Amino acid sequence: MKIANLIHLYRVRLRARLVGELFALAGVAVGVALLFSSQVAQESLSGSVRALQQGIAGKARYELVARGPQGFTEAVTKQVRHAAAVAQAAPVLETSANVQGPSGQRPVDLIGADSRIIALGGSLLRHVSAAQLEGAAALALPAPIANATGISLYGTFTLQVAGRNFEGFLGKRLDSSDVGDLTDSPIAIAPLFYVRQLTGFAGRASRLLVEPQPGRDREAHRELERLAAGRFDVRDADFEAGLVDQAALATNESTELFSGICALVGFLFAFNAIRMTLSHRRRLIDDLRLDGYSPRALIQILLLDALILGVLSSILGLALGEALSNRLFGASADYLSLAFPIGSQRVIGWQSIPIAVVGGLLVTFLSVLAPFRELYGGRLGMSLPSRIGGRGNRGSWMVASGVALTVISTLMVLVDPAVAVIATGILTVALLLLLPSLIRLSLLALAWLGRDVKKPALLLALIELRSTVTRSRSVAVAATGAIAVFSTVAIEGARTNLQAGLNQTTHGLTDVAGVWVTPRGSGSLGAVTPLHPIDLAPLERLPGVRAVRVYRSGLLDWGERRLWVIAPPRQATDPIPAGELLEGNLAQARRLLRGSGWVVLSRTVAEEHHLHLGQSFTLPSPTPRSFRLAALSTNIDWPPGAIVMNAEDYARAWSTDEPSAYNVILDRGASAARVSREVRGALSGQSGLVVQTARQRERRLLVVVSQAVSRVAQIALLVVIAAVLSMCVAMSDLLWQRRARLAAMKVDGLRESVLWRALLAESALLLGCGATIGALFGLYAQPLLGYALANVTGFPVVFYLRVALALELTALVGAVAVAILAIPGRIAARVSPRLSLGE
Amino acid sequence: MLELRELIKSYPSVSGETVSALDGVSLTLGEGEFLALYGPSGSGKTTLLMLIAALLSPDSGVVAVNGRELLELGEREAADYRLRELGFVRQSLELIPGVSAIENAALKLLACERGMKAARKELSPLFERLGIAERSEHLSEQLSAGERQRVAIARALSTGPRLLLADEPTGSLDSERGAQVLELLRELCRERSVTLLLVTHDERAVSYADRALELRDGKLIRRASSAHSIGMAPEEPA
Repeated sequence: MKIANLIHLYRVRLRARLVGELFALAGVAVGVALLFSSQVAQESLSGSVRALQQGIAGKARYELVARGPQGFTEAVTKQVRHAAAVAQAAPVLETSANVQGPSGQRPVDLIGADSRIIALGGSLLRHVSAAQLEGAAALALPAPIANATGISLYGTFTLQVAGRNFEGFLGKRLDSSDVGDLTDSPIAIAPLFYVRQLTGFAGRASRLLVEPQPGRDREAHRELERLAAGRFDVRDADFEAGLVDQAALATNESTELFSGICALVGFLFAFNAIRMTLSHRRRLIDDLRLDGYSPRALIQILLLDALILGVLSSILGLALGEALSNRLFGASADYLSLAFPIGSQRVIGWQSIPIAVVGGLLVTFLSVLAPFRELYGGRLGMSLPSRIGGRGNRGSWMVASGVALTVISTLMVLVDPAVAVIATGILTVALLLLLPSLIRLSLLALAWLGRDVKKPALLLALIELRSTVTRSRSVAVAATGAIAVFSTVAIEGARTNLQAGLNQTTHGLTDVAGVWVTPRGSGSLGAVTPLHPIDLAPLERLPGVRAVRVYRSGLLDWGERRLWVIAPPRQATDPIPAGELLEGNLAQARRLLRGSGWVVLSRTVAEEHHLHLGQSFTLPSPTPRSFRLAALSTNIDWPPGAIVMNAEDYARAWSTDEPSAYNVILDRGASAARVSREVRGALSGQSGLVVQTARQRERRLLVVVSQAVSRVAQIALLVVIAAVLSMCVAMSDLLWQRRARLAAMKVDGLRESVLWRALLAESALLLGCGATIGALFGLYAQPLLGYALANVTGFPVVFYLRVALALELTALVGAVAVAILAIPGRIAARVSPRLSLGE
Repeated sequence: MLELRELIKSYPSVSGETVSALDGVSLTLGEGEFLALYGPSGSGKTTLLMLIAALLSPDSGVVAVNGRELLELGEREAADYRLRELGFVRQSLELIPGVSAIENAALKLLACERGMKAARKELSPLFERLGIAERSEHLSEQLSAGERQRVAIARALSTGPRLLLADEPTGSLDSERGAQVLELLRELCRERSVTLLLVTHDERAVSYADRALELRDGKLIRRASSAHSIGMAPEEPA
């Protein structure tokens, strides 16, 4: 057929089926949006760090990185610059800081650089001149941070570094026209000499960005390794992004799983929505066949339908997904900002758009071509709802496969927890295979239970649910609910268990002192930023204070992980929180930690380095030292893992006497709130420090660490919303197509109210069945996922079977869907009885 | 049993003009009487049935069943009237696929809060009488057109109505099966003293009735005592 004719035919038909097409459009768009937004959320995490690193490093291929905050001297920089294979080398000094303006404060990564960095051509520094980096003691801030804090160009503000206040001067605003998306990064740029002054690290740098001579990369790397001599790390310039990927692994794995489930539910929605337009297409094909259209022409007509629907809905879906990823997934990675400069920009990977669009087009083509498949013997495609509505031998095969896959998924997790995501995916497939039989069994059971019921509405509902015409679609509707409830119960249950573990750990970590004194800024949460020592004598004299102790903490890059080093005072009674130990004796581990040269290490890290209890090993700290392994722990709230040692061992291994925080130990019975007020008063000249009670710090820390799992909850909510929409669309269509029969029943004297109640009862029974089966599978998956999460991520997990959650979700999904269906049900029940008389 | 007096019903047409569907129709049916109402398409037959089934109100005139005027019924009472006092057999009944014949026939009884067990018990003799007892547990899609129509009759008679309306009940059947269904309808109504009003455009169906009338352009223009009189000289309606 000529394209012009195809388009003409499409246009004239569109008028008659506009509403149905709009539903289908919305359905596919929701599927595409869910897939796209969850992908973007995942990519943005490491993408923002990668973009920032590239913005700073430019052409640099390698970097020489100091292991401690004191960095290395200018002499090292000179040696590297003089190396034969090195073209350019630019020192950078980075530290955590807090920017405080008239209308707010923001934690930033303070980056000090000099004019040598300009030669590397990083986009972040493209609009900063050499004079600006060598001249005045001023800062450049991204425009959003300047706006949020109310700091105006050439205005002054308070800059808090290492627990001290300084007067800052804003010499440049970095707008998106200058630095693009990097304007969303939490950074401040200043001349190197200025940052050295602020930190007190005169003549030092924390890393050195290196551009090799053309074609001499490997040689340059060897020279750097030689110069580092085990004191510093030599790594690729984009290594930081890899560390973020590793840190976000747990979040990303769960997001991946949910992305898949989300897309599945979204596309079930799309499929159900497109099914609404199928009766029209079937009639069209029947008419055109009678008029002598060839199968080829019919396919062309349907393909054009699918193409237009697929393309339009993909465009709409991408726009919707963009909004979703922007609003819903925006700031879910603050927990990583403890160790990484995570920006709020969204990074859209090259693969995100094609994956979402191909998914949308595929479901559209399969669904739109369904009538052709029915007419010409099912050779053109396949559809989930019709497949899952299978009976007979196919039904037995599906049940057998479903049971087998359930067993396989369980064994997989038990044998190797690392494959938990794949195993959960397999369990989802098993659920899909078992669903038709389970739903049919449930409906038979309901019919048996209802054999003595006399309520007409309920009896009618039970009869309708057995109708063969709607059975496959009924199963599809119930399957949608089942998958949504299954995934939400499973993952939300695991998440809740994880959250309980995080709560327990956070309490244990903060409970080592009654009151905490830390520097301001995001670093203060993990207490990983060193602060200038203060005179403790005035604090120790305060009423209610038994002692003030030095607490140290920091970050250590070991292998592919950025570890959190926790070093409470040697005298701390509980240096390792109860419930964190996975191997070893708690009392013994605590005793050993109070001694010298012992650490407790996260099990995942110990396994990675093949370490076992009691073994001696060299920690790659700034001053590498030998430690022995006292016990193995969870990752103590920090996804990449943690090391616990005492503060004095830390001082030796990091060659520093600077504290990261102060622990104020209270007299028995002293009020933490009162003592914290007293301490705040005593530190009045040190407003760069924050004084908090243990409970205040616990709450603040909990808000941040909980974000490690918060995205899972957000996506779970999306899954439920998509499922409810999907079920409502499909059920509405089912009810609408039944109007002729409802009209006949009215002629037979069945009242409108009885028919309406029957429709609602049918919806409630069907959706209830699906949701209950999903909830049961979800409960089965909870311990599997929990076990896997505990092993793969190393997070502290508190195990409980979340039955109440399953019940709540089942009731919620069913109730919301039935409440929504009350309207189309009412409209369908109001059908005129004359419809059955051909009037 | 059934009394129609000076029934007038008209509809607005697409062009805005008024089209008369019934124009002063008067008719009386006694208990157990079988009247065939013959007429071509568009003659107003279905409109008349809808007025008797209280699905439609006349512009003027009276529809009374057992002395009760249907115009006075509210929506709920009208539904109750159709459920308990009226049976309606259509050309093709919308049976629920995947559900047994007897369960399909039980729908009216279920609405009377009988319960499925009781409904089966009540329908059993009727199925026996209709000759489909052995097919009662078969799914609706496994039934022939004639059997489906018998299920429709069983459903219509299940609540023991005194008045049965049949709208082209043989329209989808061949002549042999059509004849069987008509014979059954006549016998069943006679046995149960049910008044039967059959509308059809099939002249042969008229031969089963006690009385026959022809409806044309909304008016009863011809009357006959049986089908044999059709084709004879027209008589004016009473």
